[in-house]
Amino acid sequence: MTSFNFQLIIDYLPYFFKGIIYTIGFSIASIALGTVFGLLIALGKMLPNKFLAAPFKGYVGLFRGTPLLVQILVINFGVVPLVLGKSNSIVAGILALSLNSSAYIAEIFRSGIQAVSEGQGEAAATLGLSPNQTMLHIILPQAVKIILPPLGNEFISLIKDSSLASVISAPEVTYWAQAMNAQYYRVWEPYLTSGLIYLILTLSISSILHSVERRLAVND
Amino acid sequence: MKKSKIYGIVTCIIILFIAVVFGFSKMKDANSSKASNKTIRVLTYANWNPFEYLKNGKLVGFDVDLIKELSKEAGYKYTIKNASWESMFTQLQQGKADVGISGITITSDRGKTFDFSDPYFVSRQSIVVPQNSTVKSASDLKNSKIAVQTGSTGQEAAKKLFGKDNSKILATQSGVTFQMVMHGQADAAIGDNTNNEKFIENNKGNKLKIVKDDKAFSPEYFGLMFPKGTSYKKSYDKALKKLIADGTYQKIYKKWFGVTPNTKELSKFK
Repeated sequence: MTSFNFQLIIDYLPYFFKGIIYTIGFSIASIALGTVFGLLIALGKMLPNKFLAAPFKGYVGLFRGTPLLVQILVINFGVVPLVLGKSNSIVAGILALSLNSSAYIAEIFRSGIQAVSEGQGEAAATLGLSPNQTMLHIILPQAVKIILPPLGNEFISLIKDSSLASVISAPEVTYWAQAMNAQYYRVWEPYLTSGLIYLILTLSISSILHSVERRLAVND
Repeated sequence: MKKSKIYGIVTCIIILFIAVVFGFSKMKDANSSKASNKTIRVLTYANWNPFEYLKNGKLVGFDVDLIKELSKEAGYKYTIKNASWESMFTQLQQGKADVGISGITITSDRGKTFDFSDPYFVSRQSIVVPQNSTVKSASDLKNSKIAVQTGSTGQEAAKKLFGKDNSKILATQSGVTFQMVMHGQADAAIGDNTNNEKFIENNKGNKLKIVKDDKAFSPEYFGLMFPKGTSYKKSYDKALKKLIADGTYQKIYKKWFGVTPNTKELSKFK
């Protein structure tokens, strides 16, 4: 590696900051939507009626079984234009990331819900709670505690996966790293900088999750 | 249980497929009704200094200046958007944009799906090797590992010279080819000469050099790329002729490449 040029990075920082805003935006929106969808899909997948559960199982199979890159392209050029009339890389990026992560999050939720001992549900039924109330007030609060570590894992991969949105020209961190590479014909300055940015973002989210975990552990 | 799962997956795939097909067909409809609109939607893949790149966030380059002048000359308003390479092709194919300019080489394969303008730039491939290499021409690379950019004309040139299924031709992302040569993963890189020169100029400490071989590498011609059956080709070809005749083309060329172009080479295109 010859002569790492820090001045280039300093010159380019404003664009990296723009990119960071998009990367964070993509991540937060997709984490939020992905968690909501994921919970609904997990509940759908566990429906006792096989026919009602089948589409949810198919959804998880489809989104876990195809590359995210392909999903991003299909959603950007096929699905989003159908709804909005034209492609929009930001909408497509958030949609693809949320739909993709929701498939994984659904499985995380399901594992958590199934890990809560059956006695809890039975006890709730004895107390006269309806199945819905049992799920909402008894099972889910305990499940959430169990699934926090794998959920954190998923959030971290989601932040890094958002870099794939650069293929549809969403102006996030990787997009600007590529643009910087093209402008200066330099490889290390842009890509190591983007790596460092992702590292800072993922370390921040893991420390946030860690403190949430500790807070919830107080009730144990 | 298993059956219902498969059923669910199949349903989802079908739904998605229908959505995509429907989406594509709808876009085409929307486009054809706008055919009389005289604002040209230009796409480029701004990842190639000096042809088109983001200079501090702004879209600049030889192609960018040229398409602006050409559009003005032809009497069109224009919008220029940055897209990725694949997405540029997709959008043009779907008629969601009117013209692509991005150092696109005119090839007969691409000509099956797109229309091209007359050529506006002549380019040649060249070889990048370490400074201490003894390679003097393309034929010296016969048993070497060669790095090329995926989907580029450099890749095609390497395949033509050394065999289509040659496992020693290593395809990778742009920019990475030089790294592979520097770190000994490949013995040489074949790529566009303008690109090679720019990289070496910007990375002087890397001990790489260029080997040219105009016999092995036939010239490539860049053209504006239109959706098949476009109505704009004629006016852009006319505008290009005019800009070459009045010297505007030469001025733009000099600005970005520092030399005066040999415009006669353009007319050698068959």
